[in-house]
Parts: sequence; C-alpha cells; structure tokens
Amino acid sequence: MNMTVTNLSRRRFLQASGVLVVGAAVPGCSTGPMPSRNATLTPNVFLSMAGDGTVTVTASRSEMGQGIRTALAQIVADELDADWSRVTVAQAVGDPVYGDQNTDGSQSIRFLFDVLRNAGASAREMLRTAAANEWGVPMAEVEAVDHTVRHAPSGRSAPYGDLVGAASELPVPENPALKSRDAYRYIGKHRVHVDADDVADGKATFGADLTLPNMAHAVIVRPPSLGSQVASFEPPADEPGLIAVETLPGVSGIGAMFNPLGGVAVVADRTWTAIRIANALDVQWTEGPNAAFDSAEFTAQLREAVQAGGERLYDAGDVDAALAGEGTEIEALYETPFLSHAPMEPPVALANVADGRCEVWAPVQDPQSTRALVAGWLGTDAANVTINVTLLGGAFGRKSKPDFVLEAVELSKRLQRPIRVTWTREDDIGHDFFHAASAQYHRAKLDADGNPAAWLQRTAFPSILTTFDGAAEQPADWELEMGFSNLPYQIANQRYEYAGVQPGVRMGWLRSVCNIFHSFSANIFIDELAAAAGRDPIDYRLDLLGPSGVLTVPGMQPPEGHGLDLARLRHVIERARAISDWDAAREAGRGVGFAVHHSFRSYVATVMEVTAGDSGLSVDKAHVVLDCGTYINPDTCMAQMEGAVVFGLSLALHGEITMSNGRVDQDNFDGYPVLRMSESPEIVVELVPSDALPAGVGEPGVPPIAPALVNAVFAATGVRHRSLPVRV
Amino acid sequence: MAIELIVNGSPVQVTAPEDTPLLWALRDDLGMTGTKYGCGKALCGACTVRIDGTPVRSCQTPVGSVQGKSIATIEGLRASHPKLVEAWVQNNVPQCGYCQAGQLMSASALLDGTPAPTDEDIDRAMSGNICRCGTYGRIRAAIREAGEART
Repeated sequence: MNMTVTNLSRRRFLQASGVLVVGAAVPGCSTGPMPSRNATLTPNVFLSMAGDGTVTVTASRSEMGQGIRTALAQIVADELDADWSRVTVAQAVGDPVYGDQNTDGSQSIRFLFDVLRNAGASAREMLRTAAANEWGVPMAEVEAVDHTVRHAPSGRSAPYGDLVGAASELPVPENPALKSRDAYRYIGKHRVHVDADDVADGKATFGADLTLPNMAHAVIVRPPSLGSQVASFEPPADEPGLIAVETLPGVSGIGAMFNPLGGVAVVADRTWTAIRIANALDVQWTEGPNAAFDSAEFTAQLREAVQAGGERLYDAGDVDAALAGEGTEIEALYETPFLSHAPMEPPVALANVADGRCEVWAPVQDPQSTRALVAGWLGTDAANVTINVTLLGGAFGRKSKPDFVLEAVELSKRLQRPIRVTWTREDDIGHDFFHAASAQYHRAKLDADGNPAAWLQRTAFPSILTTFDGAAEQPADWELEMGFSNLPYQIANQRYEYAGVQPGVRMGWLRSVCNIFHSFSANIFIDELAAAAGRDPIDYRLDLLGPSGVLTVPGMQPPEGHGLDLARLRHVIERARAISDWDAAREAGRGVGFAVHHSFRSYVATVMEVTAGDSGLSVDKAHVVLDCGTYINPDTCMAQMEGAVVFGLSLALHGEITMSNGRVDQDNFDGYPVLRMSESPEIVVELVPSDALPAGVGEPGVPPIAPALVNAVFAATGVRHRSLPVRV
Repeated sequence: MAIELIVNGSPVQVTAPEDTPLLWALRDDLGMTGTKYGCGKALCGACTVRIDGTPVRSCQTPVGSVQGKSIATIEGLRASHPKLVEAWVQNNVPQCGYCQAGQLMSASALLDGTPAPTDEDIDRAMSGNICRCGTYGRIRAAIREAGEART
C-alpha cells in the first residue's frame, strides 16, 4: 500500500508537496533567541508551529469516531515534546501531499506512526538546533522538554515559540532521532478526544452543518432497483420554496463504481420542503436488469454454490482420503444476510461549482479519491477541485463511496449555486453499498482422539469487485484473506474453496468486511467440533494452534512484520479465558461462548456471557482482549472494542437486509433495528501491552462477536444457531 | 406568519411553514445545527430536544405546535447542566459524536427527574436514543457520575 511518505526525505517531501518552510528572516544580532511572532515553523505538511508556540497538527485521515484526530496529534506532540494544551488539530483537504488518505482498513496508525513521529521529531530537532546556535552551545547539551528548550549547564531556556523564527530558517533534518519507547509521554497514554468538547456543545461540524450563501437543498428520489431509469413523473405543483426539479441519469446496473444512482432531484430552499415534495413525487420507472432481484432466491443460490464446491484456493494433505477414513464426520452450513451500514449521519454533501472550480464539504473517508472522481465528473483537473472533510457522523465503510458527493456536484453545476444533498434514512438504507450476504460450508472428520483429521471449508458470497466491474464474479484474494485463507489451526488435511455469485445490488465494505462471515462460521464450526469431541472449546482451540511461530499459509502474504503470530493469538485466548472466569460453573440457562479472530493485523479474543431460554435471550456480559501491537490512546482502543461489541451484537441479533423485486424491503430503524442501550451488555476490555508494530483497532473487534454469541447460546441451551441474525 | 419560540431562554421567531418539523426549523431557519437528523420517524433519538422540560423528538414535532413554548437544545446544555456535560467529556463518551446531542438531551431530562438513577432507570430513559458507535456503556457511566455529583 502507499508508504511513499515514509520513503521521501523531508526535503524531497517538501518539494513534492509545494509547501515551503516559511520563516521570517531574523537578524542574527541578538544574544538570545529573538521572538518572531510572525514566523511559522512548517517542517512538513503534518505540523506547523506558530510564533506564539501554538502547534497545529494536520490530520490526514477522516474522523468517524475512531479517535484518529486525537491519536495522530498524540504521536506528533510526543516526538515534539509539546505541551498538549497548545496542540490543535486541523483537517487536511484531499491532496496527495499527505500520502494515502483513505481512512479504511484500520490502517491509519499503521501507515502514519513513523511518518508522524518523524514529523514531530523534525520540528523538535530544529527547535533544539536553533537554541544551540543562538546560545553557542553544543546540541548535546540542549534538551526539549514540554514546549521549552533548556540548557542545563547555563540555566538558559526558551519557550518553543521564541525559537520558531530561527528554527524555520534551518534545514529540515533527514533522519531526526526518535524517542525511545520509555520516553513517550502521549503515545500509549489516555487523552480525551480533541473533539469531545465541541461534540458535547453541539458545535462540532458534521456534513450537514455548513451553509453557504445562496445554498439550496436537494433530496433525490432514486431508482427503486439498481439500474432502473426515470421514465416519467408528474411535476410537483409550484409552491413557495420549490426551486427546481431535475432528472438525473442513472447507472445501468452493478459495476457502476461510485457513480450516482440517478433519479429525480427536488431542490428547495429548505431541507424539509425538499423532503416533503420528494416524498410525494410519483415517479414511473423503466425497470432495469435487477428489477427481479430477490434476496431469498439469492441466498438459495449461495447455498447451492457453497455445497457444490468452487474454485480451489489451496489444498494441503489429502482431504478426500481423510474424509473417507475412520472417525466422526461433521458438516455444517452457515448463512449470513446482507447488511446496511446505517451510520447515524446518513450520506450528505455540500458542493459549490463556480468559476471553473468545485469546492466540496462532505463526510468522506477518502478525500483524494473523491477529488479524482469529482474532477473526472466535471471533466476538469483535480487542481480545480477542493474536498474539505467534515467530521463523519459514523461511516463504517459507507462514506468511502462518494456517490452522494457526485450528486451534489452535478446539481450545483446545473443550478449554478451551492447545493447540499441530504439523504434521508430511507435513502440510506434503501440505496446502500451493502455488506455481502454469504454461505459457508464446513466439513470435518474427527479422529479417535476427537481432533480434526480433515477440514474442508467453502465460502460463497458476492464479491465487492462487482461494484467495480460488472463482469466480475469471483472474490478477490484480499477478500479471502479476511479470515478464510488464514485459519490458524494445525490440521494435516485442509482444503479451501470459494465461489462468487453476482448480486443485483451494490456491494460495499462494511466494518471488518468478509471477516464477519468467515469468523462467524470458522469460530462456530470449531466449537461444534469441540462439542462433538467432548472438549472445552478454548482447550480445543489452544491444542490445535500448534507451536509458536508465524503462521504460513499459501496465497496472499501479510505485510512485513504483520504475519499471524501464533504466540500472540494464544495469549489473547488465554487472557480472555482468565478475565471472563470462563471455567466457573454457571447456573442452568446461562452460558459463555468464545471466539477469536486475527484481522487487520490485530488479535481479538472474545467471551460472551448470555442467559437464554424460553424467556428469550439476554446478553449479560462481554469480555474482549485486544492485542493491536503498539497503541496510541488506550482509552480509544477500549472504546473501539466496546463499540465493536455493540456493532457485532447489532448484526448478530438484528441485522438483516432483504430485497424483493429489486427493492430493499427495509427503510428505517424499525425494519432494520440496531442495538439499543437496554440490550447492550456490560463490556470488559483488556488491552495487551505490546511493542509490536501498530495494527488495526477500528474493525478487528467486530468479527468475534457474532460467533461468540452463538457459542454462548449453545452453551446455555444446547441449541446451535447457524445463521444470522440469531433468533432465539 | 412568524412562529415565536423561546430557545435556550431567548425568544426567537421562525418563518418556516407550520408543518415544518422543529428539527428543520432549528437547523435551517435558526442555524442551530447541534440538533441532528437521524431517521425522521422518531426512531433514533438523534434529534431530541426538550420542550418545556420534556424530551421530544424534534423530527416529529411540527414547529407550529410549539408556538410560545420553551425549547432547550444541546447548544444551551453546558450552561444548564455543566456537571453532565463535564462527566460526558471526561468519560470520553463520544465516538463519531453524531447522536450525542440527542443522548445528552435525554440524559439531562432523566437527571432532572431522577437525580440518582439506577441502571434500569438509565436504560429506560435512554433506549430511544440509538448510538451506532456503541457508546452505551460510557453513557451509563457518565450519567451515573453526573447523578452522583448532583446528589
């Protein structure tokens, strides 16, 4: 992936970025550093320090609740030895000078940790050098401490701000010394999120919170099935506030990437006027290729495909012979439905196309690709397009796909005024890029000791590639790598097969993506094998992990330093067992269930505790152990695990999107419920201290939740649920 | 004809059509964007404000129906409920933050009526407010803390 920023020298980076070191010339006639209030120290695009010492960290990744703006600032501030109270965070526009900005795949910290440490350390070294030069003392004798450079032998000190002028004249160091781990003061330490106060005051700026002069509001009636087109509609009666009604061309079907769906846009002076008129609009549609798409039929296709077998990913030993041999054969079929992201903030975008330029304000996960798409849409150079990133009111992958931005751009272009496109909740759920429905088939043979002699696993799902290429059918290797091709258990005979089935709706990635269904089936099936063998499910897993080391599997290889470390996996399993009081006897109707999953380079083990029976199901407690390598803000990591429990339980207990006649059957939180507080368990999180490379946090907590729940329900009731959502 | 409201203690006038939901009158007419749209059907609680003290879903409340009434929104909450807001921040409750205005308004109403709520009280009062990021545990903690601070 994109690591170009790290590989560029600071200087080359500056040249490449067009951002110059700005500094006022300071006459070198003083005996001490001369305060230069107008100077700015800007050693790189991520950090600037004003003459009053105020630090601005530019966050190049989008904030969607994962605390990234805070974490990025913590890294810079630490190496800078900054006073946290003097650090502010600015949000980057979409621009390649920042390197990869795609806030996706739980890899912001993984990609930016070294980059930002270097950014902070560069500035710190420049400030130290400036002070040493001014004082005529060796660099080795000056230290940077808490926004001040000090020279202990002479007792001199200067606040950072006073050194900015001189420092800004200095070359940016190529390889500034980085702190040792034990010297960190912000990395690895709790910080309240930088936006928490603004959020609590209602002042934080989300996608719908900016207004431009002369702005109009658009609400769009989109085609009910993917690829249908507007045939005709009865124009709404003219009324005060109605500005325009625009017909938008649609897409022809799957493979349409992030292009807008088309439809009829109602543009008005107020959001409500646009919603009300759009809701009443009677549009006739020319039905497209997916007008008959039916999710129940599609699920049957997946079930058939997964039982028939598919493309062979890899095959170790002789599965057929082992399956034909002595022992107990166990097979199981698992199914998971389509899901919608349903972030609390539905898609929304403000665009202003004017004077040969386009400026956008929107909650997007990837402002660079948004910029490129907008430029392409308008047939202009990306230099004429500015994408401002607001806070994202939740995203979960939905806001990586900026069809909603292109709608606003098109309408602003046509109407020659700023346009905000508001998606209603019905628009959001009805026209999502859905998480794939899936079917998983498992078959194993247990030997006389109850251990699996053979493991056959098949997966079938509609690939996300179908969103980019209408002819695509088979899953991508990066989809299979998400919890399918990297099963950690040592079994002599293993075979993995996959099959793709083309969907009739748009596919997209949702928080933890294919890990959701792969973790679901593998974690339940191993539990089923343990039960058949009469063994404890955690003991059973631990015995199958084999010796410590890095798992080697055929196929897609993890990045350097991020292979699946079996010792780390074992550790989170053992810790989850310990903190959950796993081995304690529990009363009838109460049970604990376990799941463990490696994804986004992190390790998460989960124990769910439930009460289940005739009176229904209550999830009483969740225990989560996370090893994400080096972490920045432990409280954020814990919050992400808490959120993952809720997100995972939402999909496990409620999540199901269905389609009939190409139309999504659900349209709001009544038909598509998500977890509420009264259903939310007590959650205990343990974070594993680690000096390993930083790994993902936002997504890896989700995959173990649903299978741990199913396994807990089995422990409580003896009933094994093999499809989602779980209905007890 | 202008509709007169008292918002966070100050009289204001709104010229929106009477059937306009209070949510959109606050956002589009008064520029008070702290109150959020989440579902438009009173299902998620993101738009919760208080009318004469009672928490209501502003997406389902026509502005014409609250003529002359006293409306409290998130923008005024730190002034009226400083301990709650501080407990919220110190517990690092918000993740994405979008639902939090509604959560805080519901929480303020709970604490006004039940200064030391039990977990059951909290669940009952807060279950109309969805948080997709899953901050429920921290919301409970912040409410308990603010309740204890008051009593």
